[in-house]
Order: sequence, then C-alpha cells, then structure tokens
Amino acid sequence: MNLLNPSSLLLLLPLAAAIIALYLLRMRRKDLRVPASFLWPERTDEIRANSLFQKLKFSWLLVLQLLALALLGFAFSQPQMKQKGLAGAVTCVVLDASASMNTKEGSRTRFEMGLGQVNQMISSASPGDRLALIVAGSQPSVIFPLSSDPAKQKLALTKARPTDADADVGEALRLAAALVGTTEKAQIVVLSDGVFGPVENFSPGKAGVKFSVIGKETENLGIQALGSTPTDKGLLLYCGVNNYGAKAKQASLNLYADGKLLDSVKVDAAPAKVWNKTVLAPPGVKVFEARLKSGDAFPTDDYAVSLTSAGSSLRVLLVGKGDMFIEKALALEARVTLERAAQVPNAEKKSSPGPGVYDIVIFDGAPAEPVKARGVLVFGSPSGLSYVSGQGTAKNPKPGDSEQHPLTKGVDFSEVYIDTASKVQETAGGKALVSSSAGPLVVAHDGPTREAYVAFEPLNSDFPLTIGFPIFLSNALDWLGGKSAGAEISISPGQSFAIPTTAQEVKVDGENLSLTVPTKDQRAVVKGVDRVGEYKITGGGSKKLFVSLRSDRESDITPNSKLNLGAKSVAGQSSVDRLADIWKPLLLLALLVLAGEWWFFARRS
Amino acid sequence: MSDFILLPGEFRILERLRLNPSRSFSGRVRGERLTAKRGLSIEFSDYREYAEGDDLRHLDWNVLARLDTPIMKTYRDEEDLAVHLLIDASSSMSFGEPSKFEQAKRLAAAIAYVALCGGDALYPATLGLRTPPIQGLRNRTSFQRFAAWCSSHQPEGNAGLAASAKAFASSSARAGLCILLTDGFDPEIAQGIRILAGRGHEVNLLQVLSDIELDPDIEGDLRLIDAESGEAVEITANAPTLREYRKRLEVHNKELEAEVLRSGGKYAQVNAKTSLEIAVRDILIKKGWVKS
Repeated sequence: MNLLNPSSLLLLLPLAAAIIALYLLRMRRKDLRVPASFLWPERTDEIRANSLFQKLKFSWLLVLQLLALALLGFAFSQPQMKQKGLAGAVTCVVLDASASMNTKEGSRTRFEMGLGQVNQMISSASPGDRLALIVAGSQPSVIFPLSSDPAKQKLALTKARPTDADADVGEALRLAAALVGTTEKAQIVVLSDGVFGPVENFSPGKAGVKFSVIGKETENLGIQALGSTPTDKGLLLYCGVNNYGAKAKQASLNLYADGKLLDSVKVDAAPAKVWNKTVLAPPGVKVFEARLKSGDAFPTDDYAVSLTSAGSSLRVLLVGKGDMFIEKALALEARVTLERAAQVPNAEKKSSPGPGVYDIVIFDGAPAEPVKARGVLVFGSPSGLSYVSGQGTAKNPKPGDSEQHPLTKGVDFSEVYIDTASKVQETAGGKALVSSSAGPLVVAHDGPTREAYVAFEPLNSDFPLTIGFPIFLSNALDWLGGKSAGAEISISPGQSFAIPTTAQEVKVDGENLSLTVPTKDQRAVVKGVDRVGEYKITGGGSKKLFVSLRSDRESDITPNSKLNLGAKSVAGQSSVDRLADIWKPLLLLALLVLAGEWWFFARRS
Repeated sequence: MSDFILLPGEFRILERLRLNPSRSFSGRVRGERLTAKRGLSIEFSDYREYAEGDDLRHLDWNVLARLDTPIMKTYRDEEDLAVHLLIDASSSMSFGEPSKFEQAKRLAAAIAYVALCGGDALYPATLGLRTPPIQGLRNRTSFQRFAAWCSSHQPEGNAGLAASAKAFASSSARAGLCILLTDGFDPEIAQGIRILAGRGHEVNLLQVLSDIELDPDIEGDLRLIDAESGEAVEITANAPTLREYRKRLEVHNKELEAEVLRSGGKYAQVNAKTSLEIAVRDILIKKGWVKS
C-alpha cells in the first residue's frame, strides 16, 4: 500500500482528540418536576454535551464518529493498493513473440503465459482504462490499438500468435513509445523472457516502463551450426549441437541428405559445450537437414537446414559508405548472407594467403581492389579496374539500349535518370552492356573472376526506384556467383525474400503456415514466414522453402531478469500490478458510517 | 364550583346511592347498617330456646301452640358503618390539569355525601400530609363541615404515602370501609395496603392519574426531580425511555390492583379529567362501590 498524501493522517490525532473531548463534556440537563421519579429508568444517551467535564463513557456514537473520522482521514491520505492486472489507466503492452517465447513452462509456452497476463489485464481494467497490445515478432504488430473495449480486445487477442523469429523488440518498444509516450502516467509493459537483442534509440517519453519476466526454464539443447565445406574427399557436412543449459544432456541426432537418412548418432553434450559431428556427403546432395530429438522445453532449434548447391547460398561483402537501396535489395535475396565493411579486409585481399570467405564483393563508390571472391560488382569509381579506363565524369548521360546479357535480362536502362556518372571506356576483356553518349554505363568482364562495372552510384540516379534495380542485382548475383538460384531456398524465421516469377501470385504452404503472395513487377516478395519447417512454394515454378532457426541468443532460453534499454535498465517483476486509488470507496464507506451514525442518533433522540 | 365542592345536580344523583362494602362491620351507635350482632330490628335472624327473663314480645306463639315448647325469635342488629375517607395530599397529587388532588377532592366529596346520606360515620383524613384529626361526621348536615375541611388542604405533603397509611393503620380508628383516593405513587404503597387490610379495614382504592403520568409529553435531556422526595433521575427522553416508563407504570399499577384485590377490597382507576358524573356512573356504580 502506498499513501500519496500521508501528512493528512497527522490531522487524525487532533480531530479524534476533539471528538473525545466533546464526549468528556457533561450534558447540562433541563430540570423537570415529576410526580414520581421511581417510575423513570435512569437512561441517558450522551448526544449533546454543553457543560464541563465528566468521566468518558462508552458510546456507540463516539465509536461511529471515530470510525468515520479514521476512514475520512485515511481517504484524504489518498491510499493506493497494489492490484494485479492492468498497470495504469493508459497501458501499452509489448508481448514478446520471439522464438524463445515458445519455450514450454509446464503445460504452457511462455507466449501463452504472456497472453494469459494480457487477458487478466483486460479483465481487471476499470471502465475508462485504455489498453493497447503490440506483439513483437520479426515485425511489430499492433493486435489492438489503445481502446477500452474488453470484448473487442479479447476477440483481437485470439489473433496474436507466436513466431520462431529473432524478434525486434526494440522496434516494438519504439512503436509503443510513439503510442503512449506523450501521455502522463502511461505505462509500457513488456511481457517477455528478456531473451532478445539490445534495445537502442528508445525513449519511453512520459510513460513508465515495466518488465514482467516470463519463464524459468534454462535447460536447452539446440543445433547451433549446420553446413558443408569442400574437402579433397568430397563435401564434408558438419553439425554442431550446443548445450545451453547447466546440466549434461543426451539426445539423438538424425542427419538427412536430400530427405534421406544419412546418419543417426547419440549426442552427449556437456554443460555449455558444443558437441560436433562431421560426415561426408553423398555426391550431388543439395539439402542437408539435421533433426535433434532432445525432448527439451525449446524444440524450435532442434531442426536445421543447410543448402549445399552452388548458388543456393551466397556470402556477399558490401564495401563502401553504405547504400540502403542495395542492402534492401540484397536482403530480399534468400540465398544472400550480407556483411558490410568500409574497406576490404586484409584476409580477403588477393595478395593475402589462403582462401577467401566471400562469394561476391560489391564496391559501392569505394575504389575496387583485387579480391579472392569469385565475383565482383563495382558501382561508381573505375579506379583499380583493368577492363575499363576512367576519363573523368559525365553529367546526365542518357542510357541507350542494352546488350543481350544475363546481367541485363529484364532490365530497362533507357528510362533511368542519371545525374552524374564516371566517363569510362572499356578496354581489353571488358564488354559494354549499356552505353550512353558519354560512354559505356555497364561493363561486364568474364574471366577467372567475373566482374561487372556500373559507371554511376545508385544514389546518383533514380535507378534504385525502378523495377529493374532488384532484377539487375539478382541477375548480378546469378552471373557473378556462377550459378543461378536453385529450386531450394533456406531462410531464417521471419526473413523476407523475393521470388522472380511471371505468375499472378505465389503460394507458400507448410505445416504451420500458408500464405498467398500477389506478384508485383514480376516478383513476389514473401514476408511473414516465421515458423520453422519445410514449405512448398508454387506459382511460376515449384520451389522448396526451408525455415530454420540458428540463433545463439534465442537458443539460450535462460530468462533475463533485467531489461536493458540503452542507458536505462528495468528490473523484472514476476507479475504486473498497479497502484489503484482506493480513496473513493473509503470515502463512500465513511459516508455510510456517518449515515449510520445519524440514524443511530435520530433513533435515540 | 360552590363551597360544597359538588354541583347541585350532582347532589341529586348521589342522594339515592349508598355505599356498598363487601362485608359488614360492627358499629358504635345504632344505624342503618345490619350487623352480625343480634339486636332489635325487623330483620329475622334465628330461633333459640326461651330463657328466663327473655322479652315475651319475641316469643313465637305459633310454635308454642303447636309444639308446646317456648321458642324465642331473634333479630339482626343495625349499626352505623365507619367510612374512612383517606385523601392523598402529597405533592405528587398537584400534577395534572385539572390536578389529581382536585379530582380526588370531588370524588371524596361524592363518596362522603353518599356515606352521610346513608347514615354512615365518616372519618376523613389525609395521606402524605400531617393534619389534625377531625371528629366523625354523621348526617348529611355535616357535609358542609366536610367540604370546609376538604377545601382547607393543598397537595403539599411529603410524608410518604405508605408511611401515612401505616400511621393511620396504627391509630385507634375502628375497622370499617377505608377508601383511598390517591395516585399510588409510592413504591411501598402495597405494604401500606396490606397493613390497612390487616387491621380489619376493607380497603377500596381509587387511583387518580393525570395525562402527565399516563402519556408524558416530554423530550430531550432532562433531570427529573421527584416532587416528594426531591430525588433526581437523569434521562434522555426518547422513544425507548418513554416505552420503558410506560411499562414500569403499568407494572406498578397492576401490582397495586393485585394487592388491593388480594386484601378483599376494590380497585379502580380514574383520569383526573373525567367528569364526576361519568366517574360515579362508570366506576362507583358499575363496579359496585355504591348501590342505589
């Protein structure tokens, strides 16, 4: 209990003393002669005192008056009681829907426990209390906006579903702050196990933040690594199983190659250690799957997929100051694992010993350097390139027709507006694919290393805004990577990806999820596939989609008792409660007591 | 009201009435009341054998002729009745409008007139107020003396009702009809009645009460001072208190009535506002206190 105005309690003492003093006053009674006093009962009720002192006698009126005074004094001190449920009059709940929230705690998952808390909040809301719910999945989703309609809120609650994705809770918190951050005494309540990435650039504004920790389970065995590497004997498949818990665990691991059981082994993982297994892949295997039978509370990371075919996965390094358009276009390529750097790492330079780790290196405005990757794409500066020579810059070059080439397939450069481009001339080995009055704009070079040069930076043109830009990048990945995208796609839960297709729509069907994605500009951007499993994609061809989670953060299911919000941290609590004002019922009770006292007085006088 | 306390019309009503005691009492002089004693009257009592010296006028000649045995006829004697009229003159009788004492005096005058007309010996006295004794009154011509005696008293005594009754009982007053006109407001009154009855009196008690006692109209916080003893009782005159008072009054009156009836007397209650005519008709006549 909390008192907002405890000083008012100090008034109780003198007021009670004053009331008692009134009862100490002796009543001055009117004398009346009667024929016989013995017939009259000596019955006095001290209801009006107007003379000097007498001995204090017990009186129900005194008791009732002191009780009413105590209630009034207590009400004026504005007491507040802790109540489970809603955290305040305006509350925005952020429910973590990340993969770790699928951890089972007894019969229910953490996500279901969170939903239970939200349900309790809705039920305990007073009329006028406004509540909003944001589910933090791979993308924040507002389940219901700020409202005070419990029936609609409970109906909307049924639409909330968990994901297997690595959730962006920070984005959900920023959305919550935008919703209630300007409201005094508003509360943002985070219902989570605290297993999510660091939250940055978040300010709750005027709202307070409360963190309700869900879950206690800590033991988990999960597939941490799954991949392949070429060796002299052939393709070597490897699998790593991590014991994230504090106890030794045993499990059974089945490895599949193109759906056929390759090996079945017993896993004996020590606490906080990785158990590894390698096996030679049969020739021509495309899909390598691992299934772990651990029986632990978090089964999401017990399944992993790795595609072994060339072109099915590309590790791309983007060198330069950064271009949002390039990054966004590459993010939609399921096969791409993108990394960024201001300059080429030494280990990747051709002059350094050993093999490189990247399949393709993209220079965006940065001078190109010889690298070990099998493909290089350069935007802007021609320096360091052997197949073009720079001759200054050209203003507003007008692109002409494109040559037939895998790079330019489906891309129309003729309508692209270019502000500034490098004026270049192709040399030996270079082939101009798109030319302008100022010279070639796109040049390809096919050799031991496939290279492509674009004479302008995307930000110096409206090329990123055209349909052709993602198609050009997709073409570049196919050509520079040496293989086009295969019929298998592997993504992490919630990852968006694009499928080039001429069909009207694309259907994604899986055990846990079914989606229909309309096609636009000859490609379908698939979003929201956030449950682990195998899916079939139909529409303009058939593909297999494998979704698996490999995230150390999500697999370490031990709940965090503290929520780090940049510079500020919020301690977790087992349940969310609110300090509700109780002065109104107290005042009502005091009035009732006073009414009773009046009735008692009237009855006796 | 005249000096005679009663109105002329009331005298006419009372003239034809006689007191009706439940039993007979021995008198001092010849009167109009038959007694258990043998005497000279026209009321036949019994037969007895002739004894020498008997008055031959009372010999039953018919029996002598038939049986040849002298048998004497005896007759009941007639004597006067001692009527003790005890009027409560304590301070409590001053309450009411008209006061209980005024009503008691008028009722006493009525009873006195009936007694005097009936040839009874009337001995008026006061209770609760020490007054010099008055000689017995006989004949209706004495009524004026009674009225004068009555008018000379005011309800200002505080000697106590029961104590006065006990003092009267211990006096040399001969046994007779003892009529008490009182409000009965003395917790010891029952004891006084017992002592009176024990002295051979027939105790008839006429309780005179006023509206002040029967339905007190008071409220607030009061200190009630007893008009006789001066004792004070602090009360809050509210519904429960008044309810309790009425209950106590009822219990007291019931006990009073029960004590009077137990002693073989009569009891009646009259309001101080009740007219004399109604009181005579509904109480004295109907309840057998007097007869025509």
